[in-house]
Amino acid sequence: MRLRGRKGHSVRDDEISYLIGRISLKDRQAFRRLYDLTCAKLFPICLRMLGRREDAEEALQEIYVKIWQRADRFAPGETSAFAWLAAIARHHAIDVIRARRPVASDIEEAYDIADTDPSPEENSIQRSEGRRIEGCLRRLETDKASAVRAAYVEGLSYEELATRHGVPLNTMKTWLRRSLLKLRECLGS
Amino acid sequence: MTTPDQNSRDPRRDEVIAGEYVLGVLSAEDRRKVEARLRNDRVFAAMVNRWEENLSTINHELETMPPSPRVYSVIEQRIFEPATRQARPQRSIWASLPFWRGAALAMTALSVGLVALGPEIFRSAPPAPEQIAELAGTGSPMGLVAHFDAAKGMLMMTPVAAKQESAKSLELWLVEDGKAPVSLGVLPQSGDGMIRIPDAMRPRLRGAVLAVSVEPLGGSPTGVATGPVIASGRARSF
Repeated sequence: MRLRGRKGHSVRDDEISYLIGRISLKDRQAFRRLYDLTCAKLFPICLRMLGRREDAEEALQEIYVKIWQRADRFAPGETSAFAWLAAIARHHAIDVIRARRPVASDIEEAYDIADTDPSPEENSIQRSEGRRIEGCLRRLETDKASAVRAAYVEGLSYEELATRHGVPLNTMKTWLRRSLLKLRECLGS
Repeated sequence: MTTPDQNSRDPRRDEVIAGEYVLGVLSAEDRRKVEARLRNDRVFAAMVNRWEENLSTINHELETMPPSPRVYSVIEQRIFEPATRQARPQRSIWASLPFWRGAALAMTALSVGLVALGPEIFRSAPPAPEQIAELAGTGSPMGLVAHFDAAKGMLMMTPVAAKQESAKSLELWLVEDGKAPVSLGVLPQSGDGMIRIPDAMRPRLRGAVLAVSVEPLGGSPTGVATGPVIASGRARSF
């Protein structure tokens, strides 16, 4: 995977992977280089979720401290290097949001996710469609795809998504859970 | 929340929980439950990793934007300064009296041992294990050498640097928080993967990170890791 750098040239994922390896050896130059290569990608992730620039910059500081501390846990076989960095950034920002605006827990409740198996025709179309997330999101209904996107990019909770789309909370939960299963089906496992 | 019990696993429900965690819609309390499970349940962790990988390309839709330059200096202070403050000048082991006492004792013990063994050590050694195969994966920087000890019927698998244009070695490093990595030696290509750790280094293994880098044949010429790090992990307490 390639990710686009600040001035249009792209940065190869294996360079990031190499740098993370160096950082696990506490190589400060590698850390500086990783920061220069990735900060303009991770900063907008924080900014989109947290809204205010100061909050996003404070989060970014915590995120790079975590990257420094956890570099030895990066396993190249499990995710790409950029996905690993993005996950640290997003999960930190989500934790900040949840601490700011707490939401009720619901993981114990019954999951209404029946009747989502695609028909055989649907299945074959999905396979030929390719396995990228963009193609798979396009296969969802528009409002469901935009709810998935808003959850991921803005860090919205079920309640906030329900309010935005003007549907009851349980409807939103069913939307997203069924959408996740459809995406999994489309992306392949 | 289900326990990480293989028998009661509902893969579809787990896929949904993994996806909800990665999307970020769960409450703080549920997020902690998921993270606790991630530490013990590899199958579930693989589901979460797959979602992280699949969804991460959505991030590329965001316009790149650099943070203000002062952010890096704050990070640098937080990471590097505590280490600088803690760092004490380390006395060289050659200047250490306990080391020389220990060395003298060891030499005495060795000579006693040689006398006790007597002619035993001059007997012909059993046939050495013979290298019978080199295993390599496509694109992997690490390979395995198989040695077979015919007398004992033992097959030994030793990690080595995969064959490249010039011969390489795998070097093992001890990394302690806030300190420069210390070489623990080059992984032996012909032995059984064992590296003797000097007495003084043994207590330092606890909680430190062990990392393997690819180096020129025979190990890093500078004493500092020069090549890519291909594996690392933190040592548990023992």
